[in-house]
Amino acid sequence: MGKKNLAIIGVGEVPTGTYPDRSQWDIIYETSIQAVRDAGIHKNDVEGVIAVAPQAQPQLTAEISFGKIPEELGLKGCKDVCICNAGGASTSNCLRLAEQMIESNQAKIVLIPHVTVHSTIPIPDLINFFAKAGIDLQWEYPYGTTYNGIIAMMTRRYMHESGTTEEEMASVVVSLRKWAALDPNSIFYGKEVPTIEKVLSSSMVSSPLHKRECNVLADGGAALVVTSAEYAKQMKCPAACKLGESSRYFSAFTTTRSTERVKEGFRDATDEALADAGVSKEEIDIWNVYLAYPVGHPMFMETIGLCKPGQAGKMFMEGHTWPGGRMPWATIGDAIGRGHTGSGVSMATYVETARQLMGKAGARQVKDAEYVFQNTSGGSGMNFIATVWGRNR
Amino acid sequence: MDTQKPTPVIQPWTKEFWKATQQGKLLVQHCKDCNSKIFFPKKVCPECWSENLNWIESTGKAKVYTYTEMIDMVEPKFMADLPYIIAMVDLDEGIRMTTRIVNCKSEDVAIGMDVEVVFQEISPECSLPVFQPTDISLRIKTTDPKETETKVPEFETRLQPENYQAIQYEIGGKNNVVCFITLNRPDKYNAINRRMAAELIDAFRRVREIPAVGVVVLTGAGKAFCTGGDLEIFPSLAGHQNSLNWLSHEGLDVQRAITSCEKVVICKINGHCLAGGLEIALACDLLYAGESAKMGTTEINMGILPGWGGTARLPRSMPIFRAREIIFSGRKDYTAREMYDMGLLTRVFKDDEFEFQFEKVVNNIASKKPIALRMGKEIMARSVDGCDIETALAVERNGIQWLTYSPDIQSVMDQFRASPDQLTQQQKQQNIRSDAKK
Repeated sequence: MGKKNLAIIGVGEVPTGTYPDRSQWDIIYETSIQAVRDAGIHKNDVEGVIAVAPQAQPQLTAEISFGKIPEELGLKGCKDVCICNAGGASTSNCLRLAEQMIESNQAKIVLIPHVTVHSTIPIPDLINFFAKAGIDLQWEYPYGTTYNGIIAMMTRRYMHESGTTEEEMASVVVSLRKWAALDPNSIFYGKEVPTIEKVLSSSMVSSPLHKRECNVLADGGAALVVTSAEYAKQMKCPAACKLGESSRYFSAFTTTRSTERVKEGFRDATDEALADAGVSKEEIDIWNVYLAYPVGHPMFMETIGLCKPGQAGKMFMEGHTWPGGRMPWATIGDAIGRGHTGSGVSMATYVETARQLMGKAGARQVKDAEYVFQNTSGGSGMNFIATVWGRNR
Repeated sequence: MDTQKPTPVIQPWTKEFWKATQQGKLLVQHCKDCNSKIFFPKKVCPECWSENLNWIESTGKAKVYTYTEMIDMVEPKFMADLPYIIAMVDLDEGIRMTTRIVNCKSEDVAIGMDVEVVFQEISPECSLPVFQPTDISLRIKTTDPKETETKVPEFETRLQPENYQAIQYEIGGKNNVVCFITLNRPDKYNAINRRMAAELIDAFRRVREIPAVGVVVLTGAGKAFCTGGDLEIFPSLAGHQNSLNWLSHEGLDVQRAITSCEKVVICKINGHCLAGGLEIALACDLLYAGESAKMGTTEINMGILPGWGGTARLPRSMPIFRAREIIFSGRKDYTAREMYDMGLLTRVFKDDEFEFQFEKVVNNIASKKPIALRMGKEIMARSVDGCDIETALAVERNGIQWLTYSPDIQSVMDQFRASPDQLTQQQKQQNIRSDAKK
């Protein structure tokens, strides 16, 4: 077993949606209280708060940075507070910081909250933020690139190199949406899952990306309560324990990122995380992949050798990744299925990893899930953080 | 919403790169110590941290690595460009750039396609390196100056108000005696392109044929009056002949169409009025502006000068020492009030009163006899052109004499001939009435 000593013992979440009338603090209250109660602890047991930095919300960021959460929630036992920003990889880093706080006896239990309310951000600010996030202001932005645009270019190149068809790319969306339809916290919960034809018939945004292959901006929030694996064991509560971790940094911008290095990083970080956990690929019950857009999914799958090169598209098309399939994949449906909540989708993916291992995943529950692989990635794909999680035993 | 296109955020160590783009050169940063080619350019070599860096000139040849056609969901500032192609290209020198593919249909772009660099001027400081197919047969339009110089834009159908695209033309006002010509490219701040120039020439000549109309109101749709020549025409000005034609054909003809249209042209400056936009305004007879309008001539910032009459009309429209400042400073933030104080505008109104006050002015002038307005415009034009006072007085005298004996004045005169008292009586009563109003 790995040398990690961290366990998620409580989760709280509001369904992803549009809440212009709901204040960000209202959501922080709800998710944090839920997570503390889910962990079966008292609020004053929380000794540290490490918040995920909300993107494009400078006022809220300032409030959280300057320590408002413990005061607002009355966390009388809190010893310290901070905020952490690494884009979509923020939650992974909050967990790392929490692990360090716990390991060094600064705190026994840490609360990690996140909230994003896109719907109340003025549209020009929102457009401005997402047009420039992860896009270089000197060498990319003046040409009129967008987030969808850079992903579209990546997608075209991937399809060209792997021979993946348009239908196979669309089937990634179908697979993700099938999971989302089963997730009460998704914007697509209970909604009809589009067929491949329907995905491809949606209007073209930035070729070859169709509208249904792009993310919908939404509001959401979640919280994790974490402690050491040892303490979780003592508590005998359902928990998800971190077993292994490894990461690679690539580049800040897509122009300067080589696909070869990304693939190498996918492979090395995954292998190292698995080795760290002492778990083999075959033992992984769920591949809880967070890569924000469809293209990363087949690319990752074939790169780490879960299928033959060029065959990943088929894996999604043939249903192996669907609910009930032999390789449960991204069981909240990634950002495509969940709705884009800033840095919230990676948080939601951790919540899901924990739920699956705690046996609380409802209709999405993968039976007897023992080991979950989860990754995150930040910015425009600047890095890749691989983690392996197991049940509390 | 912000529709100004972004320019590259330049770092001290990339100034040279952008400076070279103005001379049509694409540079690649190079480390003299470890021989790396560096992109994006850095302050120190990212491989060996050497500061011993220089630039080598690229051949400008590249291959398309990947691309996308942007169709939807872009920032407002790029919407006017849609659809456009963004690509990553691999230069022969071994670096990869993000760029645009131009002069090529989207269905003709392919991974691996050979492309070569061309430059699009986007600001006085820099041009963007973009790429076009090396294979001439794949290009939409050629950028060979020899070929473009002979290329004159032709409009498929004869221009008619019904098929105007860049302006609106409407006869209206009280008794249908006012012609409204509205620059109508609000998403481009009514920037002037070839189409707009052609339509303006057509519209101002067309309105001459309507005798009942005495007044033309020229204004801009949306928030601006006009911000000058559209950047879209700039690449075509690379050819000497093209550039000269833009000044002497489109430019001069637009000015002439306005100054010789024989109606009183009232310019309603409803917002930004810059560069070529201001020059069009200068060709008009009366200039009214809303308080928030900003004005100026910006050509000098690009190393040139106003070329649609600006250097001729500004000094003739206001004290010379003030006109010079406007042209030399390149400022585009003169407020309407400032311009008025410097002696340029007819009148400036508060924004919330502008519509109302302007309409009052137009209605009043439009109630005058078109024939008198026409003669007045011509007499004053000749007079201020700098002829000697005796000539000016002769033009005036004979013009008024002509008016007095023109048919429609004569029909009024007949009743006065019959009863000579009537004129003085009528005038007296009018005076009493107008005094009472005050």
